[in-house]
Amino acid sequence: MIDRLATSKLHASLAAGALLILAACGSNTPSATPKTYTGTLTFASFNPFTGPDASFGPEMAAGCIPAAKTINDAGGVLGHQVQCVAVDTRGDPADAVPAAQKMIATTQNLVGMNGPSSDEALATVPIIDRAHLPMFADSGQAAFDKSTYKYFYRLTPPDDAAGVAMAIYAYNKGYRRGAAVFGNDLSSQGNVPNLLSAFVKLGGQIVVNQTLTLDQSSYRTEVTALVAATPDVIFTEADPQTDAAYLSQLQQLHGMIPVVGTQPTVQPPWIKAVSGAIGRSTLSQNFAAAQPYSTSQGPAWEVYNTALLASGSAVPQPDQWSQDPYTETDYDAIIMMALAMLEAKTPDPSFYNAFIPKVVGNAAGATEVHSYKEGMDAIAAGKTINYVGAGGPVAFDQYQNSTGAFELIGYAANGSNPQLAVVSASDIAKLRQ
Amino acid sequence: MSDAMQFYISTLLIYLFIDIMGVLGLNLQFGVAGIINFAYIVFVAVGAYTAAVVSLGPDYPGNFQHYVFGASWPFPLPILAGGAAAGLLSLVVGVISLRRLRSDYQAMVMLVLSLIATLIASNATGLVNGPAGLATVPQPLFDQLALPYLDYQWVYAGWCLFLTVVIFLFVRAITRSPLGRTLRAMRDNDRAAAAVGKNITALRLMIFVVGGVIAGISGAVFVEFIQAWSPGSWLYPETFVFLAAILVGGAANNWGVMLGTLLVPVGFLEATRYLPPIFYQGFIEAMQWVCVGLLILLFLWFRPNGIFPEKPGRFKPRVAAPSRPAE
Amino acid sequence: MDQLIPAFGFGLITASILAIAAVGFTLQFSVTNILNLAYGDIMTACAFAAYLANHAGVNIWISLIVGALFGAVFSMLLNRFVYFGFVRRGTRLFGMIIVTIAVSLIIQNLLLAIFRPTFFSYTASQGPSYHVGSMVFTASQLAIMGIAVVAMVCVHLLLTQTQLGKAMRATATNPGLARSSGIATDQVIDAAWLVSGALCGIAGVALVLNTATFSETTGAAFLVPIIAAAVLGGIGQPYGAMLGALTIGIAGEVAAALISPSYKDVVAFVILIVVLLVRPQGILSEIAAAKEVAA
Repeated sequence: MIDRLATSKLHASLAAGALLILAACGSNTPSATPKTYTGTLTFASFNPFTGPDASFGPEMAAGCIPAAKTINDAGGVLGHQVQCVAVDTRGDPADAVPAAQKMIATTQNLVGMNGPSSDEALATVPIIDRAHLPMFADSGQAAFDKSTYKYFYRLTPPDDAAGVAMAIYAYNKGYRRGAAVFGNDLSSQGNVPNLLSAFVKLGGQIVVNQTLTLDQSSYRTEVTALVAATPDVIFTEADPQTDAAYLSQLQQLHGMIPVVGTQPTVQPPWIKAVSGAIGRSTLSQNFAAAQPYSTSQGPAWEVYNTALLASGSAVPQPDQWSQDPYTETDYDAIIMMALAMLEAKTPDPSFYNAFIPKVVGNAAGATEVHSYKEGMDAIAAGKTINYVGAGGPVAFDQYQNSTGAFELIGYAANGSNPQLAVVSASDIAKLRQ
Repeated sequence: MSDAMQFYISTLLIYLFIDIMGVLGLNLQFGVAGIINFAYIVFVAVGAYTAAVVSLGPDYPGNFQHYVFGASWPFPLPILAGGAAAGLLSLVVGVISLRRLRSDYQAMVMLVLSLIATLIASNATGLVNGPAGLATVPQPLFDQLALPYLDYQWVYAGWCLFLTVVIFLFVRAITRSPLGRTLRAMRDNDRAAAAVGKNITALRLMIFVVGGVIAGISGAVFVEFIQAWSPGSWLYPETFVFLAAILVGGAANNWGVMLGTLLVPVGFLEATRYLPPIFYQGFIEAMQWVCVGLLILLFLWFRPNGIFPEKPGRFKPRVAAPSRPAE
Repeated sequence: MDQLIPAFGFGLITASILAIAAVGFTLQFSVTNILNLAYGDIMTACAFAAYLANHAGVNIWISLIVGALFGAVFSMLLNRFVYFGFVRRGTRLFGMIIVTIAVSLIIQNLLLAIFRPTFFSYTASQGPSYHVGSMVFTASQLAIMGIAVVAMVCVHLLLTQTQLGKAMRATATNPGLARSSGIATDQVIDAAWLVSGALCGIAGVALVLNTATFSETTGAAFLVPIIAAAVLGGIGQPYGAMLGALTIGIAGEVAAALISPSYKDVVAFVILIVVLLVRPQGILSEIAAAKEVAA
């Protein structure tokens, strides 16, 4: 209900920009010499901060802020301090397109960004690429598996890989009758096709496949249909209110059935809504969710976590993101862009973009670095660097995708997320279409 | 002028012109003919969707979005198609609903229509791609003109200004004609207008369709600018922003409603955007809607006829004008 | 088809909540002639009032009473300080609709601004489940249905057995005549808002008990079924609203079972539009018709 015509949303973001005197040039043609920059460099977190996927934005911003902190603490990039801005896409292409245009045209010294998410990627990636702005998308869409956009990078695995990981986990747990219960939003639906095919290839059976209209007051009829199909596991992703109503009505009518969710279902709003609806202990006994695997340890993670926990004034409850693989890779993305600027000796995206793949994945003979400071010192010493990030090593394929293993995590009544299983990247690759 | 300023001002002008088109259409229905169309945004949406699908090219298997009637019509056919589709829908809705219902029931029918339309667009995913909506709508003549992005913005603003002037002259011609007088007469007292031999239903229907066509054109021009459109962009409260512009500016006064557009959707909602983000993301947006509500209440209370009231005519009283209590 | 009987049971739960809400909505409309489109948002506000009580450690059923009291007082004050002011200044039928929508926007977004965009749940146990044939109800659902029946009986007794009820009916039929017969119509109108607000509060809390979580839009999303039930029964007719609630509640769930769950709400909408268009004389009850003449 709070959505006004995309009109006002654009105005939203326009206003701040208009106050700025200087703008990053929206020009389409890179010139032969890098632009010169004065003042603070800006990275954007371009993601939903409101709407059904409002949890995505804060998760992403929580990665940028500690990254900017470590960069600034090390003296900045080429003499510039860096900062983060949040750009709200509202999880809706009609809002995200004007938000992207405004961001590109009016954000002072905008040199890179995290995002967009699945909700708005297909509509906005072409615009951002045309503006020569490096983007580290958290979009899960398979459409970007073979992206040819020069400025597009992805450190997180596609949604359909998450679907495969869910299927493998469920099958290994002995479940054979799966029910797919996904919201009708773009993000949720991305998981479904490969989940279904992978579970069937493994030898399981999908007994019911439901697409939920979001935020209804009753899902009892859907739940009855689900129960009638006698599944032994439910695969789900929907917005918090929808899953909370659905699962609580399942509990009333039948009792809980084990649930395997996705990364959005371990976000605080989802956990809050669903544990409130069905009880913490019930949730903890019946819940697992697939998310990109990150060890959440090691020297790079230590640097990340220290900076994150010290960012309490800008990141509310920073410890909630300590082990979040998306936040970790959002942090890594900023560090990688900053290191690429050092290699290119300019923050001009048209020039440093080509250096982004060169700061990672250099195994033989390269100096392994775990922070911006280490990287800066190594580059100053003339060494080839290999940044191993908070989210683990990065290895881009030819389409600038870097994906790895998945882990399945549970939920404990004390609020922690114990690891239940790890699904390897090669197992996932075998079952992907 | 810096690029940022140019982008900002050109975009603002484009929005102003498009909003004015939309408000002029609603004013024709509401201010002049007294039809309470709480579903107005649906007709804007239909125009937008139509223009989008006929310029996106045919749908194909494996496309990331799915829709009906895909085609690659050249400029300016998508805009005309948007107007025509919205007009056609207005005709259907008008024939069914513009009967002698109590005005509050009629308003309710329209409100519910707005809700149903959102549900259908969201759930019938093959129609206009469900909740995700349509994206990558091409901007008209973008490749042919081959202009730098900012120059294109100014050209587009000029194009919107041209359309706005055409629509304004057209609407003014209607309101000034004998037909316009009849319309206002039947708004103020339909029984009297019927008594002197005017066919009320046909006249109301006609004006309803004309307003719908204008709505559709404004939607089409809008979608060709922002390049994306989804159900989240046209929820029913959007109509109330247009309505607020009319109430603030002065219903039935074309200059008044244009001022209202400048003040409410553009100026007022814009002004609050200058506030730095406070408390949390979404707070200012919520307070904006609170302010839209308050603004409507304040104007209905203190200046029920708006800033520029309609020039008094022969027929009184006005619907929202002070008169004796309802009881 | 084996889903049909359970769907009927679910329909009864929805219908119970709908009946409480629709009777409150229609009762207030019949007495005051204001179509209060902020009703759904007032339900949400009541749900939040009960939430605050519940999270301060109060039992959910007592919190429900808190919600009802809040609704009663809030509705009465809303009328006194906002709606009635506009009526007195001569704002008429659809002018008042715009006023109520403006109020709806204000309430909903104030709740959003205060409570933030997230989700809320009561601390309440659903209790054991009971099987009635192939229908399943939890203890709290049975309680909601019980509350609905009690509320309907109370409204019936109020209208038929008390002085106030008679005054309300008189005011509904012809306010001018009622006033000149010595009925203190202002007090009667206050009372109507109090009763309607209390029902609104009960319905708001019951709705949240049903959906398990809620946010600032929960009540508004329920408004159209409420209006549909009220209109179906002949707006201004409390008994009609009860019947309308049963029809809409059950039709929605049965349609979900037979056609597709996505179109559950569409059924209520279509019923509403068809009734409004096909039988306007049916919904223009004697009361409303008399009023139109009086106005």
